[in-house]
Amino acid sequence: MSELLKGNFKVNKAIDDQKSESTAEEKFEREALRKLGGSIAFVSRQKVMWDKSEAKETKRDK
Amino acid sequence: MSLDRVPQDFGRDLLKRLPQMTHDRISGLALSNAKNNRQYFRYGQSIRAVRDTAIGVGSSALVVAAGPSLHRKQYATQIKDRGFDGAIISTDSGLVYCLRNGIVPDLVVTIDPHAKRIVRWFGDPELSAKCLQQDDYFSRQDMDRAFADELAYNREVLALIDRYGSKVRLALSTVSSEQVVRRAIASGMQIFWWNPMLDDPQKDGLTTDLFDMNGFPCINACGNVGAACWMIAGEVLRKRHVGLLGMDFSYYDGTPYRSTQYYEEAMKLVGERNLDKFFIRTHNPYVGQWFFSDPAYYWYREVFLETASQVDFKTYNCTEGGILFGESVSFIPFSGFLDMWTAGRFN
Repeated sequence: MSELLKGNFKVNKAIDDQKSESTAEEKFEREALRKLGGSIAFVSRQKVMWDKSEAKETKRDK
Repeated sequence: MSLDRVPQDFGRDLLKRLPQMTHDRISGLALSNAKNNRQYFRYGQSIRAVRDTAIGVGSSALVVAAGPSLHRKQYATQIKDRGFDGAIISTDSGLVYCLRNGIVPDLVVTIDPHAKRIVRWFGDPELSAKCLQQDDYFSRQDMDRAFADELAYNREVLALIDRYGSKVRLALSTVSSEQVVRRAIASGMQIFWWNPMLDDPQKDGLTTDLFDMNGFPCINACGNVGAACWMIAGEVLRKRHVGLLGMDFSYYDGTPYRSTQYYEEAMKLVGERNLDKFFIRTHNPYVGQWFFSDPAYYWYREVFLETASQVDFKTYNCTEGGILFGESVSFIPFSGFLDMWTAGRFN
């Protein structure tokens, strides 16, 4: 139905269909959590990449 | 301000968000440090050189990390009394413990890009009373008691590192702060550069950016410097039997919350009345004791156990405390590890 209606008319009032702004609490939580992260990243199923071609080989092997 | 509603298992709920939280915390700083450190690469060489160097005798290694057990157990005495001659790999935070006990590690590893804190493990030439007023990170934690008098302790560390620096091999992360890099150079350490993986190296991203920038090998540090030592022991030095010391990933039951690493941030997030929901409690059946962790440390445990199940070398946790135990990690007393080493079972 939405496809049928799409572009069939224009509305006078601009509609903001973007996701609503985060609340103050969500912003606060996001900022606070940033400080609770670990020392460095963890990458699943990886050990050492000696060179880039090796990483690509590993990918092909999977 | 703190959160209005805090779920009962808030700490555990955060675990699935830890990868993103870690990315948000360090990625920008890590890349900035790596770019800035290009001017210092000529003072060291690639960690590839370590792969081709005989470090420690035989196929065993010990990782010395600075969890709370480090100052409760007698690791150093046992290492010396038993004459352990396998590789000893220390975290930056464990280096002073080793040196004070007459042990020069075969390799020291540093990784965290923080601008002010990590250099303290090597002695901060610029530390002042004013700096300390702005950051009580070290003085309030359950670590070395000497940190209570931080300026005096810093002077001692400066002297110790200046004395032994030229004997220290440092696996220096390219994302380390300039303060750490300059301190390593000034104290005469032998530097071996490496990149920590910041994301999947099989896709174009931050890790491949680092590699393209400098060509140094990229190592999965599994979230923290202790795990990075372990990975380097097994995958770079190719040791087949790796023992862990001071790898608690937790605090002893009864430790005041204020003495934990993320206390200030946890207080701001959930408030004092909800701190019990923030920390994760774990019973260790091997030692019959309870421990508690902040979410980051519990995440370290989970990713370590996952990775340990995928490597080709054997891991023995000889910490005698903490929460790092599972199918992929043998939890044994340190004396048991040394008994096996003495009996030639690691040959």
